[in-house]
Order: sequence, then structure tokens, then C-alpha cells
Amino acid sequence: MNAALTTAGAEVTARGVTKRFGVRGQPVTVLDDVDLRIAPGEFVSVIGPSGCGKSTLLRIIAGLLDADEGSVAINGEAVPQAIRHKAMGLVPQTPALLPWRSVRDNVLLPTQVNTAANAGRNLLDVDELLTSFGLGKDLRKYPRQLSGGMQQRVAIARAFVFDPPVLLMDEPFSALDEITRDQQRLGLLDFWQSNRRSVMFITHSVPEAILLSDRVVLMAARPGRIAEITEIDLPRPRDESVFLSPQFREYEIRIREGLRRVMKNAQD
Amino acid sequence: MPRTEKASSMTMELEQTRRPSTENAAGKTVKSAVPQGSARARWRFGLWVPPLVTFVLLGSSWEYVAHSKPFVIPPLGDIAGSIANDPSAYWNNLVVTLKEVAVGGGAAIVLGYLLAVLMCEFKILERALMPVVMVIMVTPVIAIAPALVVAFGFGMLPKYIVTIIVAIFPILINSLAGLRAVDPGTLDVLRVVDASRWEIFWRLRFPGSMPYFFAGLRIAIPFAIIGAAVAEFVAAGEAAGLGAMVSIAASQANLEVTWAGISMFCVLGLLFVAALTLLRRRILWWDNHGRAPK
Ligand SMILES: Nc1ncnc2c1ncn2[C@@H]1O[C@H](COP(=O)(O)OP(=O)(O)O)[C@@H](O)[C@H]1O
Ligand SMILES: [Mg+2]
Repeated sequence: MNAALTTAGAEVTARGVTKRFGVRGQPVTVLDDVDLRIAPGEFVSVIGPSGCGKSTLLRIIAGLLDADEGSVAINGEAVPQAIRHKAMGLVPQTPALLPWRSVRDNVLLPTQVNTAANAGRNLLDVDELLTSFGLGKDLRKYPRQLSGGMQQRVAIARAFVFDPPVLLMDEPFSALDEITRDQQRLGLLDFWQSNRRSVMFITHSVPEAILLSDRVVLMAARPGRIAEITEIDLPRPRDESVFLSPQFREYEIRIREGLRRVMKNAQD
Repeated sequence: MPRTEKASSMTMELEQTRRPSTENAAGKTVKSAVPQGSARARWRFGLWVPPLVTFVLLGSSWEYVAHSKPFVIPPLGDIAGSIANDPSAYWNNLVVTLKEVAVGGGAAIVLGYLLAVLMCEFKILERALMPVVMVIMVTPVIAIAPALVVAFGFGMLPKYIVTIIVAIFPILINSLAGLRAVDPGTLDVLRVVDASRWEIFWRLRFPGSMPYFFAGLRIAIPFAIIGAAVAEFVAAGEAAGLGAMVSIAASQANLEVTWAGISMFCVLGLLFVAALTLLRRRILWWDNHGRAPK
């Protein structure tokens, strides 16, 4: 990895993160002592059965939810401070665009709030950004005029526009059809490879995780915990040809087996 | 975005029934055997003819009853004649009622929305005030109105208060629901960049609540007119306003004046609803086909 590029991200460290939810007075442990480190500029995917606590972990890192135990730091800083300087960009599961704002204005939204944190920051040029996302002709359109895939690209651009060192994405492509998904994955891969930031990327798709990631974190459920971590040692920059490489198949088999094991243990 | 529809309609029902057909007429079926012009003509026919038929049928039934039983309802011509004979009396009463609706309804809109914002931002206020709101809401205004007249006399004040009481609840309840119904995803996106409460309100909650607010307005405006009418009935001694006029005329069995007053209420309501429909189209162009949000 190019050293100059990797410094663009921030280090994310989660230590001993434990979270319980009270369900009918009964506390249920949703995350049990989770340790996760994302190196600066590293792309980490999190995969695991539904309800294993992936979103909960992401929300704790994002500062949207408090952990009961453990701590999260962004470049050594506590989450509230990191949030104050807009260190993180979020891509939710649905595009969550504002229907009354044009594509351009939707992308600009995070730059228009907490403007104190914009000082000295490299705000990306919206028009350029959207053009590189293949939305150059749609700047003035409104969300409802776009397809689902295009809307999700706008949501990703909205997270990149203020150039945060950390990006948190919660299944951004899960609502799309398979063909659109493929397009979106490759688009994100391209963009990220030329703008490396630290990424936590939740997905249900094994090939998607392998294609994009430096590491794939497999989580087990009840209680949510990290089962295994797979380093993806495929050369960068990658493109769709990785799908054909024998290593890719190996990774796919290994992670699918891990997933099967995790699901089976959960049933016992 | 500019609307392509040309004709304006009086009510939202018309607007809604028209929209899907507009999309048909607007094309995409360019290659179909039916030329666009005739499709549009058919669509206009479907729009205007059914209500016209209804009105003609109603009107002729009315005339039939009015002529066979003149003590039940007056002929339409006599109603119009009554207005034409003394237009200034009707006009003056209309202005009084209009003022009550505008002032009372306006105050209800402003107060209702402000209260909704405060309740949304400070949950404790909702807990403190919602029970009171519920108590007042379930009490019939017609029962409160005489008490208010006793307390505040026959002036405009009790009329404003009655109008506010009736009109404020739909605004409050709808706006509060709208302020809360923002997309949780967008809320998360804003929270992660430490948007302030004010920023979240201004960029997300306020515009997002507008479809709900307008749905509230559609209920509140007819309610405000009911409020004004009820207040005037109760304080009829003052003899100002359409409600007082109708009430007095009815007690004297003056059918022409009674029905002329009623028809003016009707016109008043339609004008408000039409204005609202136009305003909504201007402001809420982005809302899904003008239907209530999901
Ligand atoms: N606010 C909450 N209250 C109670 N239980 C919750 C809450 N949020 C999530 N959970 C539970 O925590 C578990 C993990 O949820 P989540 O993190 O959304 O899983 P994932 O994203 O991996 O599918 C689920 O069993 C879910 O029902
Ligand atoms: Mg989830």
C-alpha cells in the first residue's frame, strides 16, 4: 500500500465493546467484548448472520449508541470529539436522501451543518465528486427521478464530500438488485482506491466483502462477537478480474465455511 | 418543479383523481393507437361531466322540493335574489366571519405548529401538556362556547378563542407526527457530523413536517369555520357574522336569508380550501404525488 495514501485515513480502535439491550426487562447481550482495529486507510468488511450485532457495533463506533463497556477511539480521540470535527461519514442502509433537495444539495448537506468543523478541511468539489460517481448529468435532478442504485451513489458521495478520514457503511447495497449491486461495488472500489480512507463496511455478500476489503471480519451471534478475521491478500488496485482469480475462490470458500460454522453453532 | 397541469381545481379530491390520468395523458404512450389529443379530451370529460351531472340532479331535485313544499327550502332563485337585494349586508357579515376565521385560524396555525416544535424538542413539555390537550380536544366546543361568551362578553375575543380551540388540534397533532417522522437514516447522517438541534430542525424536521402540517391545515381550516359559526350562534345577540345571520334568520323562519347565509359559508370554505390546494402545490411539489406521506 502506498504510504502517502494510507495516512489519509484514521485509526479506529474498539476495545472490549459490550452492549446489552433490555428486552422485556431481560438484558440480552448483543455485543460481547468486541475488539476491532481498523488501520488508517484500511478497508474492513464485517459479515455475519442477521442480528449478530453488526449495525450495533457500527452505531457505537459512529457515536449514535453508547457501549455499556469498552471504549472506541478514532486516532486516539474519544468518539464525541471525533464527531465534533466530523471525522466520520455515514452511509446508511437506505439512501435517506431529502426529497426536497436536488442531488447536488443532498450531497452538500453534511458540509452545511457544524460548519465550524469545515475550517482547514479539504471539502471535495461536489460537481467533480458526482461526476466521478457517474452522476455528472444528474446534479440538478431530485432523488425521486433517480434509480435506487443512483440514489445510493448519492448517499455515498454525501459521506465522502467532506473528506472524513473514516467512513462507516451499513449494507449500502443490500436493497439493490444483483446487477446494480455489481456496478455499485466496482464504482465504490474504484473511488476508494484513489481516495483511501478507513472504511468499516457491513455486508451480507461474501464476494462483495472479498472484492473490496483488506480484511474481512466474521461475526457470530448470540452474543455478538468476532469469530474470525481473514486478511485478503489480493493485489491492489483491483478490478472485476479478481472474481476470476483462484485466490478469490479460496477466500470465498474459506469465508463461506466460516459463515456456515457460525450459523450452525448458533442453531445448537 | 413546475406542474404541468393547467386547470386549477377547487378541492384536493379533484386534484388527486386527476393526477394519475395526467400522467397517462402526458404521454409515454406516444406510439399507442389513440392520439394524445383525444385521450386528453376524454380525460377532461371524465373530470368535469360526472360532478356536473351530480350538481344538475341535486339542483333540479332542490327546485322540485322547493316548489312543492315551499316551507322546507326556498327556490335557488330566491336565495340568489336575497343576496342581490342587499349585497352589503351579506358582505359585512361575511367580512366579520372571515376575520374570525383568519385571525383565529391564523393564531391556531402559528400556535399549533410552535407547540408541536416545542413538544418535539422537549419531551417533558409533551408529557406536561398532552393530557390538557386531550381534555380540551374531547370536550365539545359547542359546550365551551357559551362559557367563553359569559367570561369574555360578546366581542370578538371569545370568537377567536373558540376558533383557535377547534383549529389548533389538527395542526398540533399532525405537525408533531411530521416532526417526528423524519427518516432515521438522514438523522443518523446528520448526528454523525454533530449537527446541532437547530440544524436538524431547520434542515430536516421543518421541511419534512410540511406534508403533515398541510394535512393538518386541510382539517383545521374547515374546523376554524365551524368554530367561528358556533361562536356566532352562541353569541347571536351581537348579530354580526354569517353564523349570527343564519341563526337569527332561521329563528324567524326566513328561509331565503338562512340559505343565503349557508351558501356564503360554503363559498368561504371552498375559497380557503382552493387557496390551500394552490399553496400546497407550490410548496410541496416534492411530496409524493401530493398524497399523505407513508
Ligand atoms: N434498540 C434495540 N433494542 C433492543 N434490541 C435491539 C435494539 N437494536 C438492536 N437490537 C437487537 O440486537 C441484535 C443485533 O442487532 P443489529 O446490530 O441490528 O444486527 P445486524 O445488523 O447484525 O443484523 C438483534 O437481535 C436486535 O434485535
Ligand atoms: Mg444491520
